[in-house]
This record gives sequence, structure tokens and C-alpha cells, in this order.
Amino acid sequence: MNRHRLRLLLLRLYVTVMLWVVGRALVATSRVDETVRAELACLPPGYQIQMRVLPAGPGFVVECLGDGTLKRAIVVKARPDLSIGFKHMAHAFLVFGFQESTARAFANDRMVADGDVSHAVLLVRCLNTMEALILPRAIARRAVKRYPALPLLEKTKKAARIYALITKNLLLLR
Amino acid sequence: MSKPYYEFFCPVKTIAGHQALEHLPFELAALSCSRPMVITDKGVRGAGLLALVEAIFASSHAPITVVFDDVPPDSSLNTVRTAAASYRAHDCDALIAIGGGSVIDTSKAVNILVSEGGDDLLHYAGAHNLKRALKPLFVVPTTSGTGSEVTMVAIITDTDAGVKIPFTSYYLLPNAAVLDPRMTLTLSPLITAATAMDALTHAIEAYTGLAANPMSDAYATVAIQKVSRNLLAVMDNPQDAQGRLELAQASTMAGIAFSNSMVGMVHALGHSIGALCHLPHGMCMGILLPYVLEYNESANGDRIGELLLPLAGPEVYAATPQSRRPARAVQIILLLRDNLYQRCQLPRTLLETGKVSLEQLEAIADMAINDGSIIFNPKESDRGELLAVLRRAWGA
Repeated sequence: MNRHRLRLLLLRLYVTVMLWVVGRALVATSRVDETVRAELACLPPGYQIQMRVLPAGPGFVVECLGDGTLKRAIVVKARPDLSIGFKHMAHAFLVFGFQESTARAFANDRMVADGDVSHAVLLVRCLNTMEALILPRAIARRAVKRYPALPLLEKTKKAARIYALITKNLLLLR
Repeated sequence: MSKPYYEFFCPVKTIAGHQALEHLPFELAALSCSRPMVITDKGVRGAGLLALVEAIFASSHAPITVVFDDVPPDSSLNTVRTAAASYRAHDCDALIAIGGGSVIDTSKAVNILVSEGGDDLLHYAGAHNLKRALKPLFVVPTTSGTGSEVTMVAIITDTDAGVKIPFTSYYLLPNAAVLDPRMTLTLSPLITAATAMDALTHAIEAYTGLAANPMSDAYATVAIQKVSRNLLAVMDNPQDAQGRLELAQASTMAGIAFSNSMVGMVHALGHSIGALCHLPHGMCMGILLPYVLEYNESANGDRIGELLLPLAGPEVYAATPQSRRPARAVQIILLLRDNLYQRCQLPRTLLETGKVSLEQLEAIADMAINDGSIIFNPKESDRGELLAVLRRAWGA
């Protein structure tokens, strides 16, 4: 295997793992953080949000329960209501490697949104909140356009709960 | 500027200049089209602009086959279906849009139906759901503001559901845009001013936004320069054909810029004011632009400062210390705004429009926070900050 193939393989592995984590972290954040819950409450039950690497890379699909919380979608619609697609694995790596914020990635043409644009904006805000909660401040500042005023105690408590929910998923192989 | 990655796309041929319209039959012939359908509105017909185009085509090998002049200010799915039925009934093979934003959007949507077949326009709604080239479409703008002649977007209202449906695809881009100053000579001073402020805002937001790139910068700065140098001259002499042509080019160049680097908070707020208060889009842009630039200064003051060069020229730019350039650029825009007010009473504040009440500002901010443009604004904004900008623009 040549160097370029190995690099692409490692990129794919990293992005696959990160999308697995981000999908579950988003679900967990919707249960832990009231701001995210309030944002998502406007989406109807059954509304599906997909995030993936195009054309056929890794991704996740979550489904709204109607009260602001999310669950992982078991049966995925042929065309999810909102689909965010990275044009290339390397572009996804920049975002999930926390080198570029989601808003900046949109601005740099690294991803495309299919669905209601206002819902895509709402999703970006939820992702920002999630990243601000679960990432160390120094890393989160690179991942979001503006790091929010977040008391350390609140951040620690919510991050612990989110990581606990992700770990539970991992242990139960869900 | 330097940027690690960007994309830029504009395959629309620009045919600009005096007597540019006369070139249109040649363009149709080059694509083997001989049965064009014109889509326009009653205003364009009433202003005598359609008669000019009809005369040009009457002397060519391809006279206009049918004219559909029933496009309303906010185009609807029904309008699109009716126009598409007329296209099919007359066995047309090309579309010519003559009008402003609504006519151009309608024509793009009609092109979807007549190229793909069927009547279900909603099947193609959203991003990139067209997979092949459509019929030839030529656009003749009759205002200098929207830039729709070079964008890949069409917005059509679903009147039954009460929502505006966006269609985005590379295939919606017209084959050519024809910029002929005769088409804008009859515009009223108020419309001239409002649409030019729309073009100026497109260019400035494209330049100062998160998605700005070196190619869009080039188009944006020239567009800003053309508006700054020609708008007041055209206001003073509406028959200034060369000035009109410069404004038309500015609008198209600003359209190319913003369709590649998007717009920001001015448009997020403007879309919401338009939806809730029914204020004309260009009017919103002119009112909001200086206040949003003031707000954004802490995030990208250097880029706002660079605008001083195309806005005011090299002498003012060179004489202004770098630290004061952002504020001076905003001052120049405020001065332009005041000059337009003196000439045609283009409102300077939301209060002066008489259509926006203080009580509506919260609802406007609520809507604007989820507008697609807000993501490209250089500064992250919460609802309170949007409200603060709106209160500044309200201007009590």
C-alpha cells in the first residue's frame, strides 16, 4: 500500500469514528442541554437529519422526537428531511479534526445542505453548542465561530453526562 | 486575500452595451433556436420595453413565438405551470426572461418543467436535484439590483402552503445575460436608488463575508466602484445611458460575487423584514447595510476598511489612516444614503418607511436568526445582537 492510500485509509477511519461519536453526542446533547432541546423543539416528530461524506462515505442519521430530543434513526428515509454532505473525506477531516468550524466549512464550499436551509442553520447552532460542551475550550474555540460564555462547572457536568451516554452506547454496541 | 480552498463558478455569457439587445437573435440562432417564448410582466409591457424587443425580433429569422406577461411580483407554482403549458402549446424551443427578480425566477422554474416534463415542480425543489442541462434561457434584466441573471437560484411561492420554495442547481443558470441600458432608462428614481443599494449590498456582503474568495473579491470591488461612481450621476440625469449601463454591469458583477461567496446579516434581516413587513428588498438593504457593517467591524474591520478604496477612491483611501478606514467606509455609505434621501426620499431608517413598527423588531430577529445567510456573516450573532442592530436601523 502506498503512502497516499494509507493516508486516505487513516482519514477514512478517523472520520468514520468521529461521525459515530458526533451522531451519538448530538443525541446525548439533546437530552442533556436545554438550549439544544429548545432549538430542536420546532422540528416535527420523525424529522430526519443526516450528516455524511459524499458520495457514499460514512455518516449518521438522527431522528427528532418532537420534544426537542433526538434518537438515532433505525429506519432511514430514502431522502432524509435535512442532509448535510461533505464533498470529500479530507474536507470532513478538517471539521472533525477541529481545524475548521462548521460555519467556515460551509463558507469554504466543503459541504452542501439539502433541505430547509433554516433547519441547517439551526443544526449548525446545535453542533456548536455540543462542541463547546464536550471539547476542551482551546480546541472548541477553533471548532466554533464564537465560543459561548459557559461556566466551567456547567460545562464539566454536562460533558460528563454526554460522555457517559456515548460510552453506554459503545458498551452496548448501539 | 488568500484562502485555503474555495470554488468559483459562473458560466453565464454577459452581453453588455448599447444595442446589446440586437445581439439576442444571433445568440438564439447559434443554439439552433427559432421559437422563443418571452416571459415578462405587465409593468415591462406597459413601459414599452417589450415593444422594443418585439421589434428587434420581428426583423430577425426567429420572431417571438409567444409572450407570457402575467408574472406577479411574487411568482407562484400556478404561474409557472401556466407559463409552461403555454410554452408547450406553442412548441417553443427557448426562453427569454425580460424583467426583474420575479420574472427571472419564474423563467428558471418554467425551464425546469419544460425541460424535465410534467407539472410537479416541487419534485425538483431544494439543492442540486436537476441532473442535466435545461432548454436555452436568456435573461434581459430591467432593474439593476437582483443579480438573478447570474445566480443558480429560483424562489417560487407555494401559495397553498404559504411558503417560499427554493430551487438551487447549476443548470438553472441562464445561457446569457443581456445588459442593455435602454431597459433601465425608464426606471423611477426610487426604484433606481433602491435596486442600486441592493447591488451595492450584494457586493459588500460578498466581500466582507465568511465565504469571500479572491475571484468574488475582484467582481465585488469593481461592482462597488461602479455603483459609487455612477449612482448619484444617474439620479441627477436618469437618461444617462452610459451611467445606466455601468449600474447594470455593477448589478451583474455583484450577482456573480454573491452567488459565489454568499451574503450575510444584512440579507438575513432584510429577508425577514420583507416577509413580515412587506418592505421592498432594496429599501431594506440600503437601511440596514451601514449598521450591520458597524456591528461586524470588530470581527473583520480590516476587510471593511478595504472597501474605502472602491467606495471613495484612492485619494480618500490614502489620506485616511488604516485604523479609521472601516468607520470612514461606513460614513461614505451613510452619506450616499442621505444623498439618495434628498433626491428621491429613499428611506434612511426603518421608521421612515412607515411599514415597520418597533413592536415587530423581535419577530424579525426571531426569523432572521434561522435565515440561511446568517451562517456566512463574519461575526456570530445571537438574537439579542440582531435586535440591537435592528433598533439602530429603526432610528427613533
